Amino acid sequence: MNVAVLVKLALDTGQLRLSQSAVGVEETPLKISDIDRNAVEEAVKLRGNAGKAVSISVLKWPPVGRRTQEAENLLREVLAMGVDEAYLVADEALAGSDHYMTAKAIAEVVRRIGADIVVAGEATVDGYTAQIPARVAAELGWPYLTYVRELRVEGGRAVARRDLEDRVLVVEADLPLVVSVTREINVPRIPTLLAIRAAMKKPIARLGLGDLGIGEAPRARLAELRPLMVSRRRLIVKEGTVEEKVDRFIDFLMEEGILRGT
Amino acid sequence: MRALVSSPEAAVLAREMGLEALGLARTDEEARRLAGHVGRVYVVRSGSVAEAIVTLYRDEGFALAVLPGTREARDAAAHAAQLIGAAFVPDAVNVALAGDKFRVERLVLGNKAVAVYEAHPPLLLTLGPGSRPVGEGSAGGEIRELSVGEDRRVRSLSVEEKPKGAVRLEDAEIIVSVGRGFKKKEDLQLAFHLAEVLGAQVGCSRPIAADLKWLPEEHWVGLSGKKVSPRLYLAVGISGQAQHIAGILNSKYIAAINSDPNAPIFQYVDFGIVDDLYKVLPLLAQRLKERLGRA
Ligand SMILES: Cc1cc2nc3c(=O)[nH]c(=O)nc-3n(C[C@H](O)[C@H](O)[C@H](O)COP(=O)(O)OP(=O)(O)OC[C@H]3O[C@@H](n4cnc5c(N)ncnc54)[C@H](O)[C@@H]3O)c2cc1C
Ligand SMILES: Nc1ncnc2c1ncn2[C@@H]1O[C@H](COP(=O)(O)O)[C@@H](O)[C@H]1O
Repeated sequence: MNVAVLVKLALDTGQLRLSQSAVGVEETPLKISDIDRNAVEEAVKLRGNAGKAVSISVLKWPPVGRRTQEAENLLREVLAMGVDEAYLVADEALAGSDHYMTAKAIAEVVRRIGADIVVAGEATVDGYTAQIPARVAAELGWPYLTYVRELRVEGGRAVARRDLEDRVLVVEADLPLVVSVTREINVPRIPTLLAIRAAMKKPIARLGLGDLGIGEAPRARLAELRPLMVSRRRLIVKEGTVEEKVDRFIDFLMEEGILRGT
Repeated sequence: MRALVSSPEAAVLAREMGLEALGLARTDEEARRLAGHVGRVYVVRSGSVAEAIVTLYRDEGFALAVLPGTREARDAAAHAAQLIGAAFVPDAVNVALAGDKFRVERLVLGNKAVAVYEAHPPLLLTLGPGSRPVGEGSAGGEIRELSVGEDRRVRSLSVEEKPKGAVRLEDAEIIVSVGRGFKKKEDLQLAFHLAEVLGAQVGCSRPIAADLKWLPEEHWVGLSGKKVSPRLYLAVGISGQAQHIAGILNSKYIAAINSDPNAPIFQYVDFGIVDDLYKVLPLLAQRLKERLGRA
C-alpha cells in the first residue's frame, strides 16, 4: 500500500525564546511535532513490504531560507524511522500563511505521488488546531477519520476506533482515506544506527508553490504574536526534612489565604 | 452581513458585532433554545454538518460562523472551511470586526503566546473557554428543517460510551493532580486521601488517563484535556510539559511536589517541594488534619 504521512516541522514550544514583549520565532528551533512521530510509525506499519511510505511537510515558520537545512536534518530522522522518501514544500508565501494554503499544498503533493491513505497526527504541538486532516480530505474529495487510536486496513477498507470526548466510535471507511491518529495508537520507534545511516541516502524532494501550480492567496494572516507571561512566586523548597518542607507548605497556604485553618 | 451561530452565546456575540444571526442546531431542543436568540434556526438532525454549513453558505450567505467546540463540530468546520475557501480559527478568545476584516485572537505555542489573525470573511470559529453564559432570550425565531446527505463511505459499526463519574474539575476550588511519578495504580490512594482532607478533586496528566488508564478521562488536565482554574492546583509527580501546563495557566496558585529539582514544573509554580511524593503525601495529609483541626 502507498502511504503518505504528514509531518509538521513545528516550533519547539519547550525551547521557545520569549522576552517581555516579543516571541523570538526566528531564534526558536523546529522539532518534529510529537504526535506526527506516531503518524510516521503507523504509516511505516501500514506500508508493509510491498508499498511505499512518503512524508510530506510544509514549512510554516520563517525564515524559510535558513530553515531549509534545519528542516532537512529533521526529515532525515523521519526517513530513519522507515519512510522511503520525503517531500518538503518550502516557500516564503507559506510562512505565516493559513491552513487553507497548507492543505492545498499537501493535497497537491498527495495527488502527485498517488497514495491509498494519508496519515496525519491528531494536532500539532505549536498550533494545536486539528484542522489539516479534514481540510486535506475536503481538497482531495476523500472520506476522513480523525482521532484514531486503533486502525486496521484490509481489502480496500479501514476499521478504526475513534476517540471522541465522551465516547469511542468504531467505524469503517473505504480507501482512499485520510486518518489522523492520537498518541495512544502506538509507540514510535527509535531508529537504529543502521537505519540512520541508510536514511542519508534516501531522497528529499524540495518544492515551491510554483512547482505545485498553486497561485491562490491565504484567507488569514498572522498579524501579531505576543508572549503570554505569567509571573509566579517560585518558592521552591529543596533543603530540610520532609516535616519541615510540609510545614512550610502549609504555612504558605495559610498565609496566602488558600486554606483557612484554626 | 450575517453570522451563522450554534449557541445563544454566539448569537449575542454576533449581534454585538452588528451581524444578523442565523441559527444552526443539531437537535430540536437546541433549536428551541437558539430560537430565543435569533430570527431563524436551521435544524440538521442527521447527516453531514459540513455539508449543512456549505449549503447555508451558498443559500443564505454568512460572513462569520461560530460553531461548537466538540471534536466532531471542529472536523465539520475545518472540512467546510476548505470547501468554501475560508479561514477557521478554533478556540478563539477574542473576535472583532475591523473594517472589512475580522481580527481574531487565540492562544498558541503551548499557550505561551497569543496569536492575532486577520481574516477576510467568511470566517469560521469555535469559541475557547471563558465565553459568558447568556439567559433565555425571547426572539421567538422560526425553526426550519434542513436535510443533508450522509457520507456513505464512512459507516458506523458501534459506539462505546466512556465511563463517567461525578468529577467536575472545571468547578473545583482545589485540585490535587497526579502524574507518572506514581509507580502503581493503588498508590493513587495517597492523592485521593489528601484530596479528601483538602476538600479537593483529583486531576491527572495525560499518560495516567490515556496510556495507563488508571483514571477515567474526565480527570485528564491539559491542552488535549480539561482547562481548569482552581484556587490551588497541586501537581504531584507531574513533570510539567508545556501541554500539561496549557490546561492550568488560569489557576490562582500552582504548587508541585516532585523529586527532581530540575523538573520543568518548578518554573510554573508559586510553591514547590523537592522530595519523594511517597514521603510527602502521607505526612502532608496528616499535618493538614492536625493544623486544620479536622479529624
Ligand atoms: C499534542 C500533545 C497534547 C498533549 N496533551 C496533554 C494534556 O492535555 N495533558 C497532559 O498532561 N499531557 C499532555 N501531553 C503529554 C505531555 O507532553 C507529557 O508527556 C505528559 O504531560 C507527561 O506526564 P507526566 O508529567 O505525568 O509524566 P512524566 O513526564 O514522566 O513525569 C513524571 C514526573 O514524576 C517525577 N517523579 C518520579 N518519581 C517521583 C517520586 N517518587 N516523587 C515525586 N516525583 C516523582 C519525575 O521527576 C517526573 O518529573 C500532550 C502531548 C502532546 C504532544
Ligand atoms: N505544515 C504542515 N506540514 C505537514 N503536515 C502538517 C502541517 N500542519 C499540519 N500537518 C498535519 O496535520 C496534523 C494536524 O495539524 P493541525 O491541524 O495543524 O493541528 C499534524 O499532526 C500533521 O500530521
